[in-house]
Amino acid sequence: MLLSACDSNEALSLSKKSIIYCSEGAPESFNPQTVTSGTTIDATANQLYNRLIEFNPIDNSIIPAIAKSWHVTRDGKMVTFYLRKDIQFHQTNYFSPTRALNADDVLFSFNRILDDTHLYHSVSGGKYPFFQNAQFVDLIDNIEKINDHTIRFQLSHPDSSFLANIGGNSSVILSKEYADNLITINAMQDIDILPIGTGPFKFKQYSSGAFIRYEPHAKYWRGKSELKQLVFDITPRDTGRLTKLLAGECDVIAYPIAHKKIQQHPNLTLESVTSFNVGYFGFNTRKPPFNNPLVRKAISFAINKQAILEAVYTGQAEIANGLIPNSSWAYDASIMSQEYSIPKARELLAQAGFGDGFVMDLWAMPVQRAYNPDAVTMAKLIQADLLKIGIKVDIVSDYEWSTFLRKVSEGEHQSVLLGWSADHPDPDNFFSTLLSCGSAITGSNRTFWCNNEFDQLIQRALQTNNINKRKVYYSKALKLINEEVPLIPIAHSKRYQARANHVKGTLLRAIGGIDFNGVTKN
Amino acid sequence: MLIFTLRRFNLFVFTMLLLTILSFSLSFLFPGDQLVNLTGQVNASPEQLAILSDKYQQNTNIVSQYFSYLTHLFHGEMGYSMTSHLPIATEILNRLPATIELTSVALLVAMFVGIPMGFCAAIYHRKVPDNLILTFAMIGYSIPIFWLGILAILVFSIQLGWLPSAGQISLLFEIEYVTGLQLIDILLSDSEYKWQAFQDATRHLILPVIVVALAPATIFVRLARSAMLEVLDTHYIKAANAKGLTFSQIIYRHAMRNAIIKVIRDVGLQFANLITIAMVTEVIFSWPGIGRWLIESIYQRDYTAIQGGLIVLSSFIFIVHIVTDFVYAALNPLAREPQHGA
Amino acid sequence: MARDKIYSEEEFPTPLMQLWHNFKQPPVVIIGFGCFLFLIVLAVLANVITPYSSVENHLDHLLLPPAWSDEGDVSFLLGTDNLGRDMLSRLMHGTSLTFGLSIIVVIASLAIGVVIGSLSALTSGIKSSFLNHFLDVILSIPSLLLAIIIVAILGPGLENTLWAIIMVLIPQFIHITRNAVKEEFAKDYVLASRLDGASSIRILRYSIFPNIIEKLISQATLAQSAAILDIAALGFLGLGAPIPMPEWGAMLANGIDLFYIAPWTVYLPGLAILFSVIATNLVGEGMRHALKVRKEN
Repeated sequence: MLLSACDSNEALSLSKKSIIYCSEGAPESFNPQTVTSGTTIDATANQLYNRLIEFNPIDNSIIPAIAKSWHVTRDGKMVTFYLRKDIQFHQTNYFSPTRALNADDVLFSFNRILDDTHLYHSVSGGKYPFFQNAQFVDLIDNIEKINDHTIRFQLSHPDSSFLANIGGNSSVILSKEYADNLITINAMQDIDILPIGTGPFKFKQYSSGAFIRYEPHAKYWRGKSELKQLVFDITPRDTGRLTKLLAGECDVIAYPIAHKKIQQHPNLTLESVTSFNVGYFGFNTRKPPFNNPLVRKAISFAINKQAILEAVYTGQAEIANGLIPNSSWAYDASIMSQEYSIPKARELLAQAGFGDGFVMDLWAMPVQRAYNPDAVTMAKLIQADLLKIGIKVDIVSDYEWSTFLRKVSEGEHQSVLLGWSADHPDPDNFFSTLLSCGSAITGSNRTFWCNNEFDQLIQRALQTNNINKRKVYYSKALKLINEEVPLIPIAHSKRYQARANHVKGTLLRAIGGIDFNGVTKN
Repeated sequence: MLIFTLRRFNLFVFTMLLLTILSFSLSFLFPGDQLVNLTGQVNASPEQLAILSDKYQQNTNIVSQYFSYLTHLFHGEMGYSMTSHLPIATEILNRLPATIELTSVALLVAMFVGIPMGFCAAIYHRKVPDNLILTFAMIGYSIPIFWLGILAILVFSIQLGWLPSAGQISLLFEIEYVTGLQLIDILLSDSEYKWQAFQDATRHLILPVIVVALAPATIFVRLARSAMLEVLDTHYIKAANAKGLTFSQIIYRHAMRNAIIKVIRDVGLQFANLITIAMVTEVIFSWPGIGRWLIESIYQRDYTAIQGGLIVLSSFIFIVHIVTDFVYAALNPLAREPQHGA
Repeated sequence: MARDKIYSEEEFPTPLMQLWHNFKQPPVVIIGFGCFLFLIVLAVLANVITPYSSVENHLDHLLLPPAWSDEGDVSFLLGTDNLGRDMLSRLMHGTSLTFGLSIIVVIASLAIGVVIGSLSALTSGIKSSFLNHFLDVILSIPSLLLAIIIVAILGPGLENTLWAIIMVLIPQFIHITRNAVKEEFAKDYVLASRLDGASSIRILRYSIFPNIIEKLISQATLAQSAAILDIAALGFLGLGAPIPMPEWGAMLANGIDLFYIAPWTVYLPGLAILFSVIATNLVGEGMRHALKVRKEN
């Protein structure tokens, strides 16, 4: 009797000091340099790593992180970062650091990406979509170590989004010492599987597709977390997550459904953050019939966005007129969304030579994201809409999330419901990532649309720091998208999350997903 | 008993032969390349494929291809999962124990609940308890498992908050993999939270077990009821009655034993059905077993996994069949004699 | 004017007539049989009598609760789902899918099973023993796993799952036909017609089938309740009916995401499945009861 009483106290302390977060999918890698999916970012960027600079969660301004300060020359071509000296890497059962973070680690982290002769460059496939989309290879001429705690980036031309990119989720700093160790034991691929970073939590265990276990990093430079454990319970089913929250098996859940139910519950809180995102309906412009812009345009007339907004977003989002949400400075109110008009759609379809309609597949993403809380329902609505103009839609949605992404970036789909959450507040992140020719190669442009005029516009927008000039270029680009319709933007939505009331602290960031640093439980 | 054992052994060999032929032919029937289906090497380069093709003797006739497949199977090589790229054998070893745990506990529960209820119904033949039990059996037998599971979660996890709704144990507890059977692994572990973990794992087990056990329990009710009715109709019971033995003496000393033997004969047959139910239940309760894995494999078109799952799950069922046959034979000498048509 | 009976005629009811006579004894069976007939009528007439189409979206009426609740609307008697589709219409259409198709599935597998079963009953020796073991192996594979394998070969979709379930059900019909035919063949009346020079096929057709048909029907009801549950389970797992089809299992799966805000989208399809399975089982139960009573007499 005595024994069991004692036991239950201990366990109480275990669950009292641990947080279980029910996430919506499995990460593709434990290194955010190599992937841009929100699920991977959530599981890695803020938990395991730090960046040179970060964004203020409130106003999205740039704040110091690993770099305590930085300096940009007047011509915008030289950026110097001054690093903190007290940053320690994780101590785990597979690696014990002997030194604090220094300029070598920063050099290693970026050279791995930029230098294709680097030993580690092609260890995990050699794809760094975020940096390829931002064209870092062309942009950065040289990275120079001035001394142990100063590092300088030499740019080939001024780039207005450079600092934002350095603060982006993927620009994390890895440990060079760990990488060198792995070379000696001939296990280089482990660098992205058994991660070492400087973040508030260190990696403990990953059971593929089931859960990730983290422990607090005892020497975290912003102070050790009070938690004993952080567990990501991977629960792809929306109802499964809500059930676990209601049954007390999860403390926090990603992308909750049934908002009303959570709001009514006395012990639960529903919270949201304005998120830079867009949910879209994209066409594979390499596959017929979608290589024909008329067909794409016809379909854009047949989509009832208002109905989608009501049924899928329960009215809690704004209709997307273009790619950019209205919280961005590049938003152009004069650009209107395509009207909903079945006759026009029919007419265009007939013009394109598909008056009798056709059969197409529509890949609906199998997980919830802020930009699309229920892709399958959206697909059903689109299915009903398109039937009116004679197009029969087969919905494909049963792949697991990472398989789905892989197949879509290989172009197996004809059309797809996806979306994009920005890595940083600069609008370029939408244009370059989703629709540039370069991103058609890296696979983050799932429409495979490549238009020279469009590419030139976004290039020019990057070469100036003058916001008004940039705005003009982006407006033109937005109009071009609405003309050519490689994708139909559907909505911009907030990111929602639900938690039990005993979890305290700020979890959600507008940029970069979830962050458990400083979160406590009582 | 020797002849009996030999017959069972024969049957086992024959069954395994058929099963392996079936699973081997699946690699041809599934869409895609046969060699890739067999090995699960979706990303293999042409050179690697050439090596594999050599290993599996692809250029010889179909019979030696089959024997090469058998050899690999005997060495525990079932290819690689097309999605996780882990060896199928590892995947199955990680998951089968959870299914064994769930199904064996459920089978025991079904027997311990179903058989006494069936006896009770038989004893009160065509009276109120009999009708009540039969009604229960009818509903239990008719209820769709997935619906029952959802209702159970709603009532016991959400509204009453008594029992957890998903998984095998709270993820906070780190239990080392030894046997794979969670409850045993917990007892073997030296975690400071051992007893707490044990309680937690037991609580996780309750709902899925009840859901899995319900339908088989109702079948045991029917089996036990008719077995008991049959026994009560025999001459030796009538003789015992005539001798003046009390009713309870007749039931406990004579009828029950003979009736139970009849029921045990059918336990093996029920097991395939129980596995089907367990597969759906695993999906609903996110139970990390082989059934859920197989269902997810088909979503991912992971043909190698389905092939491996078929072999392992079917042989597991068949082994249970044979074990119950032996138990039956041990209890009932008559069964050891060669039967007609068996 | 009634015809006078000249002889005190003794009527010999056919086996089926006798069966019906015994069958209709317990009232609960008659209720079950009534429900069964009701479902058949519904399955046939679903397209005619439903108030709305099963895929029509009423976007002004999303997630409307059933009419008896305060926020309900009489024009949507059982409420609507998250796309504003009328639940009542979907359930009625679902009857012809889940319940109606289960009947077709059972008839198909019954036909195939009886043919193979009676042929195998006429053979003996190695072939027969092989078939027996083969059936044992097939029966030891869980039906859902077998269905999954067949779906994996053919690809998902309603039609393919039906084939899968037909194939899952065939072995039990082979089994029961085989045993029943063998049993009858051993009887004297068969010997009599054999002595008359009747061929095996003729004996099967005229002497044996009329005597084993009730056994087959009783097995068919068991198979049908299994078929309903299997169609619904595969639909629930997303391997059966494709997305807009109002198959009960698929409807239930769709409802799960709405469970906490619109519980009726889960309760109603589940009740529909339960109702149809109970009706089928009651009919089967009545049948077996009647058979037993006849045997006892």
